[in-house]
Amino acid sequence: MISARGVVKRYGRTTALAGIDVEIGSGVTGLLGSNGAGKTTFISLVLGLRSRDAGELTVLGQDPATAGIAVRARIGYAPEHHDLPAELTATELVRHLAEQHLLPRRAAVQRTNDALWLVGLGEERFRAVSTMSTGQRQRVKLAAAIAHDPKLVLLDEPTDGLDPMQRVEMLSLIRRIGTEFGMQILISSHHLEEVERICDSVVIVEGGEVVHAGTLAGLRSGPEGLVVEVDERMGELVSLLAGRGLEVTADEGRILVGAGSPDAHDAVRDAVAELGVGLRRLEPRGRTLEDVYLGEES
Amino acid sequence: MSGDARLFDLGYRAYDGPRERPAYAVASLAVFTVRRVLGLGRGARHKVLPAITLAIAYLPALGSVAFAVIVNDIAAGDLIGYGDYMFIIGSALALFAALIAPEALCPDRRSGMLGLYLSGPLDRTRYLVAKGSAVLAVMLLITLGPLIFMLLAFELAGFGPGAAELPNLLLRIFATGVATALLYAALAMAVSSLTTRRAAAAVGVILLIFVPANVVRAAIESTGAPDELDLLSSPFVAAELAYRIFGETPDDVEPVTRLSTWLVAGGVAAAVAAGALVCWLRYRRLEAFR
Repeated sequence: MISARGVVKRYGRTTALAGIDVEIGSGVTGLLGSNGAGKTTFISLVLGLRSRDAGELTVLGQDPATAGIAVRARIGYAPEHHDLPAELTATELVRHLAEQHLLPRRAAVQRTNDALWLVGLGEERFRAVSTMSTGQRQRVKLAAAIAHDPKLVLLDEPTDGLDPMQRVEMLSLIRRIGTEFGMQILISSHHLEEVERICDSVVIVEGGEVVHAGTLAGLRSGPEGLVVEVDERMGELVSLLAGRGLEVTADEGRILVGAGSPDAHDAVRDAVAELGVGLRRLEPRGRTLEDVYLGEES
Repeated sequence: MSGDARLFDLGYRAYDGPRERPAYAVASLAVFTVRRVLGLGRGARHKVLPAITLAIAYLPALGSVAFAVIVNDIAAGDLIGYGDYMFIIGSALALFAALIAPEALCPDRRSGMLGLYLSGPLDRTRYLVAKGSAVLAVMLLITLGPLIFMLLAFELAGFGPGAAELPNLLLRIFATGVATALLYAALAMAVSSLTTRRAAAAVGVILLIFVPANVVRAAIESTGAPDELDLLSSPFVAAELAYRIFGETPDDVEPVTRLSTWLVAGGVAAAVAAGALVCWLRYRRLEAFR
């Protein structure tokens, strides 16, 4: 879908991208990084709206800087900003952009309707964009990005400005679009939990470089077993579990239980109950996205 | 339940139908822009200024035709000339250019729509072709429309040139209308490419059209500067070219006989080229991403 090799982008003396190397495949991919990390610059290069200073970049098999019409027509894009032509209705805007992506008028009308219903704006489709809330505008942008049935959809901070409930709904919608309609989605965000919730893969960018890229499943994989934290008597719990044949080590206030026993959960539960201590944490070992992100940041 | 029941509304799904060629996107954007600048499909307040300007451009033609019909025995030579008409509506042309070009270009950069357009099949050149076509088409409404209306109305009323002369006159009207529309469209688009603010662009267009015209005329009349300086005045070259195309002589202005018709036409062409070049250079490096 997207392949970058040593992509460099500079603004004067400032280096925004310092040699990006990444392969972004199918599914929903999160482009994660703090503000100023280079996410938006990377998206602008993928869209062909800016030229790179060095390196190779292909999108859907072609260089976006010189990509043919056929490729550019198969990309959908929802920008971060909410400034849309105020006087247009949602229908007018989405249909216009669908036509700009070469859909015949009749198809543009039909698919605009379908896309707006899909994003939950069916009843509101004839309202002027200027009268819509931020959440509704985000949905209009999403509908405009998918109305022409693109192969690749780029969503720049699609939950920006949404309240928690709207955010959950928007994330579910994006996940649904990515899984049900065969579109590859690249979602730019600086919210870890959003990426962790809906993405198949993640690319972490910091300081203009890719510091981690891979599937979330691969990222989470690590040493198997359990992590246990209790209120007190940690030493006694370690001894008790070891006495029951589990591979146990104490590590910085937590107990790491090896994967040797298939009944480890039950054994921990029984031991904690037997000791009468409070169980603060019991979860599978392995890294979270936060572990990786903070590790890379530090 | 009937066995013939069919489900027609399938909701959002993949699209495997035909897709148009890039020219379709250009045409679609041009039509969208024409509607926008004329206020079509928008609230009444967006229609006021285009309507007033169109009225200014068409009222003299309506009045002239009405006068000829009412008086009835008016001599053909006493009818308003086509070159004179272009001179009379010069201010409306400038006002129209100042209204439509900023409306066509500025909001896209201000709102971020430019990035949405350029992330699709339109590249910068196609975008400018679409916008330029739209501005030109709207300008033609007042550079061609009133003249064609007058020609047809006079012909129907019996004051026309006759069937033999009609094609020739139509050709002259077409040449004058297109040249004038190109001139004002190019200048207005050049100014509009420099700012995201419509009001500032409109003022800039007015200043670009009228300030050089007045400065040049004052310089020629007070210091005896050469007539060639008039070529820097867009109202002058537009009106002078119209007079020469129609073979008319202005009533109250001394003809600038030293300037050949080719030089005047070259002045128009140079202004159009300069405006287009400024616009293209500006958009070539314009930051489209927000």
